Amino acid sequence: MLPLTPRIAPITRSVLDEGELLEQLVEGFGSPVNVVLPQSAGANVARFLDVYRRRRLRGRIHFAHKANRSSALLRQLSTTDAGVDVSSLEELQHALSSGFPPDRILATGPKDRAFLWLAAQTGVTVAVDSLAEISDIPGRNAKIMIRLSGFVSHGVQMVSRRSRFGIRVGDLDTALDLIDGRAELVGLAYHLDTVAVAEKAVAFEGALAALDKCRARGLRPWTLDIGGGYGVNYLADGAQWERYTSALAQAVLGNRPPMTWNGHGYGLRAENGTLRGSLTVYPAHRGAAGADYLDQLLDTPAPGQRRPLGDLLLDHMYDLDVEPGRALLDQCGLVLTRVVEVRRQDGDLLVRVDANARDVSTEEHGVLMDPVLLGKDEGEGDNDGEGEERGAYLLGNLCLESDLITRRQVRLPRTPRTGDLLVFVNTAGYFMDFVATTAVRRPVTPMVALYRRDGRWRWCLDENYWPEGAP
Amino acid sequence: MRFDDITEAIGNTPLVRIDPAVHGLRNIDLYAKMELLNPFGSVKDRAAWSMVRPMLAGAAERGDTVVELSSGNTAKALALIAGMHGLPFRSVTNRMKVPEIKDLLLLLGAEIDELPGQSECLDPTDTDDPLTRMYRRLTESGGGFVHTDQYFNELNVEAHLNGTGPEIVKDLDGNAPDYFIACVGTAGSSTGVARALRQHDPDTRVIGLVSAKNDFIPGIRTIDEVHEVGLFDPGVYDTVEPVSADEAIDGLLTLVRRCGMLAGPTGGGAYQGAVRFLRTVDASLTERRSAVFIICDRVESYLSYLRERRPALFGQPARPHSVGSLSPAEVAAAPVVAVEAAEAYARDALVIDLRSPYAYQALHIDGSINIVDEAFGEMLAAGLPFSRRQPVLLVCPVGEKSASYAALLQKMGHPAVHSLAGGVIAWRDADLPLVRD
Ligand SMILES: Cc1ncc(COP(=O)(O)O)c(C=O)c1O
Ligand SMILES: Cc1ncc(COP(=O)(O)O)c(C=O)c1O
Repeated sequence: MLPLTPRIAPITRSVLDEGELLEQLVEGFGSPVNVVLPQSAGANVARFLDVYRRRRLRGRIHFAHKANRSSALLRQLSTTDAGVDVSSLEELQHALSSGFPPDRILATGPKDRAFLWLAAQTGVTVAVDSLAEISDIPGRNAKIMIRLSGFVSHGVQMVSRRSRFGIRVGDLDTALDLIDGRAELVGLAYHLDTVAVAEKAVAFEGALAALDKCRARGLRPWTLDIGGGYGVNYLADGAQWERYTSALAQAVLGNRPPMTWNGHGYGLRAENGTLRGSLTVYPAHRGAAGADYLDQLLDTPAPGQRRPLGDLLLDHMYDLDVEPGRALLDQCGLVLTRVVEVRRQDGDLLVRVDANARDVSTEEHGVLMDPVLLGKDEGEGDNDGEGEERGAYLLGNLCLESDLITRRQVRLPRTPRTGDLLVFVNTAGYFMDFVATTAVRRPVTPMVALYRRDGRWRWCLDENYWPEGAP
Repeated sequence: MRFDDITEAIGNTPLVRIDPAVHGLRNIDLYAKMELLNPFGSVKDRAAWSMVRPMLAGAAERGDTVVELSSGNTAKALALIAGMHGLPFRSVTNRMKVPEIKDLLLLLGAEIDELPGQSECLDPTDTDDPLTRMYRRLTESGGGFVHTDQYFNELNVEAHLNGTGPEIVKDLDGNAPDYFIACVGTAGSSTGVARALRQHDPDTRVIGLVSAKNDFIPGIRTIDEVHEVGLFDPGVYDTVEPVSADEAIDGLLTLVRRCGMLAGPTGGGAYQGAVRFLRTVDASLTERRSAVFIICDRVESYLSYLRERRPALFGQPARPHSVGSLSPAEVAAAPVVAVEAAEAYARDALVIDLRSPYAYQALHIDGSINIVDEAFGEMLAAGLPFSRRQPVLLVCPVGEKSASYAALLQKMGHPAVHSLAGGVIAWRDADLPLVRD
């Protein structure tokens, strides 16, 4: 059984050490419980700020709210230098009520009239997503950015996935004609859903060219917003990741026993002894993630001008805005679940927890990592001899064959017992509520904030958390 | 040798002995199969010609584009052959990591499509990965493409079964070597040669070399990726071993500096992997044995790859006039002009804007000239590019680079050079005029 040990930062470790407190939370609220660690977010913002400082960059780090609905996280982030990127009317209202002043809020994504109205009324900058949105902006004083997509590369053709968002670069002139006097253009934006730096470099340089076009028309946008997508490194050990992915390929080829439920290949399949398809999982171990990834991107030479993108940005005097979601929530939360059944079936160890794949949506997002089993590590429990590590399949609580917390056989330090707590760490970014469901009349998962005050851990309901001290 | 067509020059490459003083093996004669001497420069000339030849007539009739998934030598050979027959060529790749090769392919008239990376917000319902989609498009009939499909095409293997392999046997006076060592990309060359050699001597040992998982040697696959290769059959190899980029470069240096062979990284990897493997058997041998490895292509396309990994190989003595030679104290003491005084100072000075040309053209201080920092650095290496009596104001984005150059110019004896404090950004923030011509 090959392990994928999660990266556990000291703050997460110290929460896991509070077994009794976590036990009380699950006892009180029922399984599962979402735990957020608001005090962890500031350090992630600081890492991004550090890149800005070292490179003499100016601009705003907007937290992409969509990654987690938590109030505690948002209120805590409002006490840092970060702004917030909101993508719905409700997120905008939430940001305003969590302490963000309008000049630190950016409205993104497709918008309806109510969303546009409140943004314009409060003076929030709007990144317009379509030509129609430009006409829908009320008044004449709104500050806007244009989100562009469909950048074209020269020489080597970069085949990017088609995006349903944004205004095509070819339509920039039309957009500028539409804006004419109706709003103030403060910048251009893009967001690319890819981990590939080379693709982003094409967009970055394309956006610089588009900004130049705006200048040529006498406009003075000073900001380039390059969206989110800086990633998180989920695993402690790159070698484990390499061993696991190699072995998975061998399992798909039939050269070793299956490592997944029903031999699921995560995008790989065997055809005549040859591996086809491609591994569609998140690159859970990453060389550069978060602020380091941004740094790497800025060091990348522009494909056309062959000068580092960060240098070009400074040359042009632009501010850089970013919208990291996942990366700012690294080590900011965990999901607590209760083991409700442990059994053997056809030689496999099956562990059912009182939560479903929507509550802990790592699988939905393709992130593979082992959970943490709380309690003693000795092989007590329903002992089958050796007290060694073992593989288990994690079943969810829905009446669906497909409701496995993960189709990957996970590695546990011992056989769990009914009643044990199984904890999924580093789940604050997208894995808590993004796809959660109330199917089979399951209640919405309660969310609590854990925080340290006066030298010990305390907790409260997420909506009751207010950061300490004066701003 | 007189040919009507350059493709006739493909194959019949020499087999050259490596001086035992270089490899140090006592009981083994080691030979290099000089595939780098093929007319388009690599072992892939044979495979490319073998695969595309039967398609040419039909493709020319329909005006099809020749397509291959290749990031290097196969693309190069196909681009040249397609060009000879008036056909367009397109290379599809996600592994084009060596800039010289990119540029060369563009020069040869190839189109290059680079596949996208994984999505950051993964959608697992999208099982339709770009590579699969690409395959589907290529195989649609009437789609305007002929796909040589080097990872699955048996003609790739046959080129070596009928060419490379028998040539080696002929040059060894009708004998197969005891050991054959090759790097594995599509597995075409190693599989074809192995089959030919074993037809002569079933006991020939075949060693396949791949790169380690997180390593990169242009032209060959990692230990995982070989399983995605249709032609790869583990049964062909007695062992498949990883070879590191570091070893490949060591081997390359030995071949280049001591053997007069302009080998690229995979040739170097094959040499180093061969010697590493053969050393383990050499000591226990009682009779003479022979071994052959392949030098696939030439070193010239990999200069940036080598520079990135072994900068010391290109080490030049420190330049006399370079910003790198300045101490932090010297930079800190650079003469600067504050923004408030800058407009007046600029009126009588030569204002040099060190930013990129596009940024300069978009907006700059009126009357300034643009010399991008890198070019300016080159000029200073050769001495002062303006008179000492000429006051100079250097401008960059935030006043850092300009401070370094001002310090350097001062050190070179220029009495009236200044850096704009805070750079052009501070100038803009002070609402001073910027123009666009
Ligand atoms: C416009 C926009 N900005 C930012 C983000 C945040 O991306 P990430 O969480 O990967 O940083 C997203 C994610 O979907 C997005 O659509
Ligand atoms: C430089 C280089 N070396 C080695 C190889 C491996 O040859 P083959 O594809 O026949 O395995 C290739 C081909 O891809 C190559 O380009």
